[in-house]
Amino acid sequence: MPIYAPTLPPAPDLHQGHPPVLVLMRFDFTRLWRQKIGRFFGFAFLMLLLWKVARIYIDHLLQTNQAFKPMQDFARTILTQGADFQADLLNPASYLLWFLVALVGGGLVARDTLYRVRPLMYAHPVAPKDYLLAKLGFASLLPFIILLPFAILPWLMSLLLAGLHGPVWATAPLRLLPAMAVSSVLMGSLAIGASSMAATPRAGIGWVLGLVLGAGTLASMIHGLTGIRAVDALNPIMLAEAWPQLFVGVEHPMVAWLPAILGTAFHIALWTYVAARRTRPSEAVI
Amino acid sequence: MIAFENLEVRYAATAAPALKGLTLSIERGIVGLLGPNGAGKSTLLKALLGLLTPSRGSGTVLGVSLGAPEAARLRARIGYMPEYDALIEDASAYEQVAFWGELSGLAPESARDRAHEVLYFVGLDESRYRPVSGYSTGMRQRVKLAQALVHSPELIFLDEPTNGLDPDGRRRMLDLVLRVHAELGTGVILASHLLGDVERVADQLVILDQGEIKAAGSMAGLRKALAKRVELRFLDPLDASQEAALSELGTVLEARNGLYDLELTEADPVGAFRWAETQGATLVQVTPRHDRLDEVLLRALHGDVVRGTGLRPTPPEPPRQEQAEPAPDLSSATGASAPQER
Repeated sequence: MPIYAPTLPPAPDLHQGHPPVLVLMRFDFTRLWRQKIGRFFGFAFLMLLLWKVARIYIDHLLQTNQAFKPMQDFARTILTQGADFQADLLNPASYLLWFLVALVGGGLVARDTLYRVRPLMYAHPVAPKDYLLAKLGFASLLPFIILLPFAILPWLMSLLLAGLHGPVWATAPLRLLPAMAVSSVLMGSLAIGASSMAATPRAGIGWVLGLVLGAGTLASMIHGLTGIRAVDALNPIMLAEAWPQLFVGVEHPMVAWLPAILGTAFHIALWTYVAARRTRPSEAVI
Repeated sequence: MIAFENLEVRYAATAAPALKGLTLSIERGIVGLLGPNGAGKSTLLKALLGLLTPSRGSGTVLGVSLGAPEAARLRARIGYMPEYDALIEDASAYEQVAFWGELSGLAPESARDRAHEVLYFVGLDESRYRPVSGYSTGMRQRVKLAQALVHSPELIFLDEPTNGLDPDGRRRMLDLVLRVHAELGTGVILASHLLGDVERVADQLVILDQGEIKAAGSMAGLRKALAKRVELRFLDPLDASQEAALSELGTVLEARNGLYDLELTEADPVGAFRWAETQGATLVQVTPRHDRLDEVLLRALHGDVVRGTGLRPTPPEPPRQEQAEPAPDLSSATGASAPQER
């Protein structure tokens, strides 16, 4: 037999809380935390980060300790320190990052569809653009936060060990952070677009992977048939890897500036539009 | 509290209207929105919440126009309990009620405190910390009610709140609805296809079918009218003159096989025996027809209510080309007015 309160006191003042976008993002973070999928990915990305940092330390030792002098010429062949090296800092196993985005982002909208909570959100002071912005923000912020230590820690370590002449350019974060932002929004938009088409989180994961790999395969096929390299800009994986290369000025980037801009804009616009259409209030069943 | 005029809602520009030019004014209280599945109850709630834009007509909810820019903020003053589960299965009741409170504009700490209070109010004790995926149907319904109440709304929309509940759970839920109105002063719109639920808690009634309001009025008027309804059984069938004289007692609603269904002029069945004596007829049975509310509903849905019930019938929908004209206010006694005549 339930025990009921004698009465319900009035609620505190409204309009004192955070904007709905922040509330939604925070709740998604709590959900993600509860799922505990971070353990595997946390370990994997930590190992990758340690490897990057260790490379810089070894390079520093090779440069400064005469005992390692005989190894220096060999090391230079594997420890490039030009633009390629800078761009490669943001390449923590690209496929692993995409898989994480699929695993988390694929369920972001689909879970709300499955539990039918979106109509209830819209019955609160939440506008469809708030919802879309929150999901896009969370899906984009996740890869950005994962990439952040890869851009900052090696740079910091390089600065501490070798000052301005270390293997990581002093200006590297200024170049890498915008590239990370573009790549992250690309990943986030694709994830929520795919997730909005799915009815369950698992289907959402499938949609993300299908779209990423499918677009890549399509781009490769067209490239193979026509010989036009610019078509590679349809491949989201290649785009995400190309942006750091473009910002640091790699001599032969995977995709050139114009195709990269067009391809990225196409993907972001298309998948954001799909997500916006699929999460309209009129799509809500109540 | 709510008023709309000539309200029409379509799900697509080319689709048939889901709500066909509704006009109604509702005062604060508990309003039963009654109708069969597919009548347009949920569509009406969606339109009132601002989730659907009317294709024609206008309306106000708590003084805010439908479709106005401030309609989004209006939703902070409204609570909504959907018909479907709409629960975040991997979160506890406490977490999600606090979440809905924050979405309504409460500060995080206030929302957490408030979640405890409101869950206690609806009778969820320690189980509030468990994921709702393990909850019974009754508990799930109470979580839905709690999230609708967490921000102290001025008005709540309850869509089929007793769905799937056993008789005891149903009674408890309806008790809560009554408490919400009586103790918190919250206006309640209760959409249901269960007449018993509406009859128990509502003080106003709106009967909706196929996107049209079939009848609207106060429950008090309806009950009063029904109290005057009796069924008379005579020993021998009445002759023509006696049948004609029955009008002295009241309005004959139905006559069949010596049984006469009457709405008495005065709520005094004993007068029927006096009348029979003067007419030389033998009245053997007078049966009060308090159980006829379901018939009222059925007859309203078939468009031939409502005589003697206090409910106002809806005029047939006019051709779309015609211009609407204002109708006389019929709501002074009931709080609910009939759709306008055009």
